[in-house]
Formats: sequence, structure tokens, C-alpha cells
Amino acid sequence: MKILEARDYVVKNLKHALNPSSIAVVGASRYPTKVGYKVIYELMEWGYKGKIYPINPRAKEILGLKCYPTLKDVGKSVDLVFVAVPAHLVTQIVNDAIEIKAKVLVVATSAFKEIGREKLQNDIVETCRKAKLSFIGPNLVGLGSPYSNFNCGFIPYLPVKGPIAMISQSGANLLAALGTSQADNFGMSFFVGLGNKADVDFAEFIEYAGEDPHTNCLSIYIEGLDSPEAFVKSCKKVKKPIVVIKVGGSKIGVKAAFAHTASENPESDEYYDKIIKEAGAIRARTWQEFLDISLALGYMPPLKGDKVVMITNGGGAGLLSCDHFERLGMPLHELKDISPMLAQRIRAYMPMFGSPLNPVDISGTANVIQYKGAFQQALRDPNVDGVLGAICPTAVTDVLGVAKAAIEVYESIKGEKKPFLMICQGGEECHEAIKLLREHDIPSYPTAEQAVNAMVALYHYGTKK
Amino acid sequence: MEKHYKIGTDQQQAYLRDYNIAPKGYGFLEPGLVAKDSKNFASFNIAKSFYQVYPEVFNLTYISEKVGLSKEEISKRIKRMYDERLFMLVSNSYVGIMGFGLYYWIVKLKEDTTKEEREELTKRFQENDQVCTGYMMEEGGEFDYFNGNHMRNLDNLIYGVLDKFRTKRCVEYVHILPIRRLVRESHVNMFDCKEDYRKYVWSEEQLNNLLKIQNKMDEYDFKIIDAINNCGSVANMFDYDVLAKLSGLDAKEMKDDIVDIVDHQKTIIPMIYFNYAALGLKLHFFAVSLFENTPTYRAEQICDELAKDPSFENIFDCADGHHNFILSAYDGITDLDRIRKKILSYGEVIEVLEANSPRQFRRRTCRLDDENGLYEECIFTDDVLLDRSKE
Repeated sequence: MKILEARDYVVKNLKHALNPSSIAVVGASRYPTKVGYKVIYELMEWGYKGKIYPINPRAKEILGLKCYPTLKDVGKSVDLVFVAVPAHLVTQIVNDAIEIKAKVLVVATSAFKEIGREKLQNDIVETCRKAKLSFIGPNLVGLGSPYSNFNCGFIPYLPVKGPIAMISQSGANLLAALGTSQADNFGMSFFVGLGNKADVDFAEFIEYAGEDPHTNCLSIYIEGLDSPEAFVKSCKKVKKPIVVIKVGGSKIGVKAAFAHTASENPESDEYYDKIIKEAGAIRARTWQEFLDISLALGYMPPLKGDKVVMITNGGGAGLLSCDHFERLGMPLHELKDISPMLAQRIRAYMPMFGSPLNPVDISGTANVIQYKGAFQQALRDPNVDGVLGAICPTAVTDVLGVAKAAIEVYESIKGEKKPFLMICQGGEECHEAIKLLREHDIPSYPTAEQAVNAMVALYHYGTKK
Repeated sequence: MEKHYKIGTDQQQAYLRDYNIAPKGYGFLEPGLVAKDSKNFASFNIAKSFYQVYPEVFNLTYISEKVGLSKEEISKRIKRMYDERLFMLVSNSYVGIMGFGLYYWIVKLKEDTTKEEREELTKRFQENDQVCTGYMMEEGGEFDYFNGNHMRNLDNLIYGVLDKFRTKRCVEYVHILPIRRLVRESHVNMFDCKEDYRKYVWSEEQLNNLLKIQNKMDEYDFKIIDAINNCGSVANMFDYDVLAKLSGLDAKEMKDDIVDIVDHQKTIIPMIYFNYAALGLKLHFFAVSLFENTPTYRAEQICDELAKDPSFENIFDCADGHHNFILSAYDGITDLDRIRKKILSYGEVIEVLEANSPRQFRRRTCRLDDENGLYEECIFTDDVLLDRSKE
């Protein structure tokens, strides 16, 4: 339901959503295959330290915890009530949650507005708003944070720790991002599925993330905006980069978005372009771009100018990159135009057949020492705004060795506040290198275009600021 | 005009004329499908989720008038009976219209079966989520288990369930019994009973004897269950205003919806299940086989005649199985000799196997094993969706 701006009490309450001292799980189950079991199991498995109250009128004990017939039987207030029961039970649970003075209600249940039960959903929202009970959902997968070992929902794992706050209407895409986090070291500060976002809206999580000490970048997946004014206002308030992907703009997508999260999209895609621009956010068009840009904005400082130097051992990666830079309106400059001295110095790190243009091709025979020297020269040059490195796995390339050299150099120049991105295009060894680099806060990508997209986003954010 | 083949209409089984399917076997009626989480079934689902804590989901005003106790007293008794695991609110769906089969099966163990082997099988059947209903028999009977599955085809039952144990040393045989007509289950006349659809039946003899041999339930407790189950229209079963208050849904709409699917479409029966094992009762089963050359119509006539006897708690009519009927009546409170004689009075009967069951594993996917802390844990088996033949 529409809000005109983020509500203070909701923003304040969200700390109880992401770091609660106690949780009641309504619909807790004794059966390992059921959602209500998984929620408690995952909370325990991932090391949640607060108090857990399973609620189920049929059970006496679940996973060794005393079970309560209703919320009221807990006999005290809880920070968060997680609801995993059918929609027709939620009204009474809301009343009980209000009675015990719960602070946040998270409703995973589907079958509300998205199937035509708008009145039921709205009645619940009104009840919650009157009582100042913050209601997240319904129709969501869950939420959590690796910083508080908090995995609440039917979510198989926590992401690795990092600076990106993932705020998503879609549970499936949220799970995909969590999977990416685990597989490819995509670090998150917290994550939340908003589902139908009947009460708590994007704006409130945006303001919360703006103040969250672990968050450097907000990544927002939107199917529909009920409260565009609040969204714009909150984005403007936040002094951190915001990446947005807005879906459901295609002809059939409009219907699919409603069936999924009851999102209404009567406006054109251009309308959302305008809103996102006004909010000062960066719009990604594909899921991959969304993740790639978020990664760079989360870990790297903004790119303050367009003097980017690319260092590669493969001419092909260099060509793909410079073409894509130009396509995106940020063409690379020749090295001699950026820094004539750098062009000379960098020659010391390449064979005679290497190219000191830009991209700088240190050739397929480049070893770890040569990479290290070239990276160091480029990153320390005051005329260079940012560096893009690329590794192509030739038979003589020590891919992991180069990655370690990149990490060493980057750690030594962190104070320079320059973005440093890497491309590792190849097989398993490159995937390992990407993970290693990301583990050390260097955004790395398997293709040239992904890295260029990220660098250009850093430029847009840096120059807009 | 589009045909719906709904039960009780002229179109029922009309496809038999259209497609010439032989009447023997189990030809499914065409759908009128109602998903169990559909809006039509909302009132039952709300009651099912809340009755443990809010007995007022039942129509206490009506029950009070029928039983002669105050609403408060009835409410207290319902809560007590639930807490003591004496009953459970359940529903039976008409599997004949769902596009999958209801298959029961009898297991006979060899005489030298060890205690460990028996315990292993009992545990397996209790915990196998594909077994939606099941009864364990006492040792010394003429068979040892009577279990049921709803599955999309026989392959699933054979590969997915039976093949997992039937080659064990201790298993003498397994008889598969596809259900042709569900006549009575848990004292309630089912969809295929010729008369008195949804009637809850007990014999006077049984009830009188039962009141004498135990003190967990008195006459009024039984009257409360009787009032709920014998409520006539399902419109009288629940208090729809209470359901509306609990759920936020519309009372009238919920009532109209469930009246349509229970009273008119006859696709589902909400009911109170009486948990006989909680009173220490044993169900005595009769597996009745008819001569092979007994025509189907004659078998059905016999079944319908037996169904007039209120002593039977269950009456399953089987197609294409070794046994034709599975009947059960409580041991200790029923004149089983009279029943035995009655069954054997039919010249068509060739064999009657008997066994006593002190324990039921599940009641249509709801677990009954309170000793494992799992009373009323409802397991939705997905047998109907999966192809288990490759397992």
C-alpha cells in the first residue's frame, strides 16, 4: 500500500528484522521436508544466537525447542514474528502479534493480492499500520544477514560477508544471488525478499541500508513501484551507490509481474527510467549486469575521471574491452595521452613485441613479476583514475600467481582510492582466480564486457557525485 | 453443452457411453477437481488450523442444542478430547475423481518372522510418507498389515513402495487391492455408499458397550462428535462468523463455497475422526473374497447390503484384487460372531481372513503416532505427481 515517504518507526524497527533478539516461527513444523521446519533448522544451523519460539498447536516440541500453541502463549514480546502458514490464518496471527507487542512481522505466505485477495491483504496492512507493527511481505522467501549469522526463511545458505545490501521483490532471484554469493564470493551485508511489499516498502529498506555500517552499495530488484515518491526521496537521502533492475516492462511481463508479486505496472518503461534517474540510481538491464555493477560499486571507490588504463596479456580481451568502453560512451584514451611517463615506464614490464598503447598488452608470455610491475606503475600514477587488469590463461601464465600479485599491489595502494577491476577469462583456474580476487575485495569478472560495464558504472557514480 | 460428469447428475459416468469403457475395474469419473488449498475449501482449512486452540470454529450453538450442554462445556470438551488425542478434524477426498488411484494392500508375514523383522516393517510403514493410511495387526492374525496409498498408477506403488520390502525373507505375500468404491471410512458413509451420504454411523450395541469399558469419553463426548459429523448440510458444521473473524475472509462466501463442494458436488467430506487406539480399542478386520465368477453387480449388491450394518467402521470395496471387501468392526464391543455369520451367509463368499488392529499409522496422510510427537502432522504425499517407476 502506498506511502509518501519512508516512515521513521518502520526504518527504526528494521534493525529488529535483520538482527532480532527473539523470533517466533508461526507454522513451525516437526517434519524436515516442510518450510516451517527448515526455517528453524536454518536459524540454528547458521548460528543464530537469539531466542526461538516455535508456534504450532499440534506439536509439543520442535528441534528440541518447546513449542507454543499460539503467539499469545509465548507470554512475552518478541522482536520478529515469521509466518509460514496459509493466508487464511494470517489475520489472527497479526492480531496475536499486536497483542504481544511484536516489532516486526515477516509473512512468507502467498495467496494474497497476487491471486485477487487484495482486500484481505489491505485489511491486514491497515491493522498493522494502526498498531505500528512493521509488516514485511507477504509472499516472500525470507531475509537475513551474514554479519549476525541470521538466516530466516526457506533459504539454504547465508551469503558471504560483504558490502552489498540485496533488496529484492523476487525470492527466486534473491536465492540466485545468494547462490552466486556462495559460489563466486559476491559479498552481502544483508538480504531481504520483499514479495508483495504490502506494508514495508523499498524506501524504508533503502534508508535502513543507508545507515547500515556494513553496506556500501544497495542493489534493488523491482517488479513494481507502488510508492515512487517515497522511493525517489529515500534514494536521494542515501549517500551510497544504488543499483536498480526494474523488470516486468514487456507486454506479457506486465501480467507476469502481477501474478508473481501483485506488482502493477501501468506506466511505460521510460517512466521508470525517469524515476530511477531522478533517484540518482544506476539502472541495470540484465541480471548479470545488475550483479556485476553492484559488485564494483560495493567494493570500489567511485571512478573520478575517464583515464582508465587496461593491462592485459591477451590482445583479444583488450579489443573486446576497448570496443565496449566506446559503445558505452567512455572510450579509452591512449596511454601516452593519459601519462607519457607511464607509457615509457611500463615498457620495462613487457617483451619487445608488447604494446604500450591502451590496452597495454604485456603479451601472452607475461609472468607474475611483469604483471605486478605493470599494475603497480599504473595504479601509482597520479594521472590514472582507474585500472582494469586482464588475465588470459596461456600455457605459461601462472593465473593464480598473477591474481595474488594483483592482490598484493592493490593492498599496497588502497589509500589511493582508485578502482581496480580484473578480468579472468578462461577455465577453472580463472574461476579460482576470480574467487580469490573477490575474497580480497577486488571485483573480478569472467568476460571483458562485464568488467567494462562495472567500470563505466563506477564512472557514472563517480562523476555524478 | 460441456459435460462435467459430476456425481449424482445424469452425466455421471456418461463417458462410459461415450467411450465404451468396461464397467469392471476402476474407471475414473471425469473431474470436478477442487484443490485442497482452493478458496472453495477455505473454511475447512481455517477450522483445521484453529480447532485445537479455538473450538468455537465449530457451530457450538447447533451442537449445544443437539447435545443439551452449554456452549462453554462443549468447547471445553472439544479441547480436552483433542489434547488427549481422542479425535481429529480430517477430510476425505473422493479419489475416484482425481485422476489417481487409491490402492490398499495387505501384507502377510511368515510364521517364523522375528520380532526385529516385524518391528522394522512397522517402523517403515509408520514413517513412509507415501503410505497415507495404514493399520498394524496383532501377531497371530491371518494377515499383518493393511495399508493404503493414493498414487498415480500401479507402477508407482509397486516400484516406489512394495518393491522396497516385499522380497524380504519374512514376507509371505502382498495383495494389492485397488479401491473401486469407498463406502465407509471412520464411521462415515463415503461417496460411494448407496444411501445416506456423509452419515456418521455407530451401532447402539457398540456405543453402549464402549461406555461401559472405558472412562476417557462419556456419552456427551460421543454426542458432540455425532452432532458435528451428522450435521446434515456442512453449512451447520462450522461457525462461519468465527472463521471469518479468524481469517479476514467473507463468512457467506466461505459457507457457500464449501456447501457447493461438500453437499452438491460431493467431492470432499469434512469429518471428525475418532481415534480408537487412544481408548485402547482394537479394530477387527475381515478381508472377504468372493468366487471369481461372481458378477460385478452381485458383488456390489453384497457390499451395499453389508453397508446397512452400522457396526462396520470401514467398508472398502476393491476391484481386481484378491479380496473383494475389507470390513472392520471393533473387537470387544461388537458381536463379531454375528458379523462373521452374516458375511458367511453369502454363498458367493469363498474366503474370509481376519486380524485385529491395535494401531493405525496414519489417517489419510495425518500421522497418529503421538508417541513420536507427530500427532496430526499432515504429510502431503506427492505420489500422484511423481513417476516412481525408475526409483
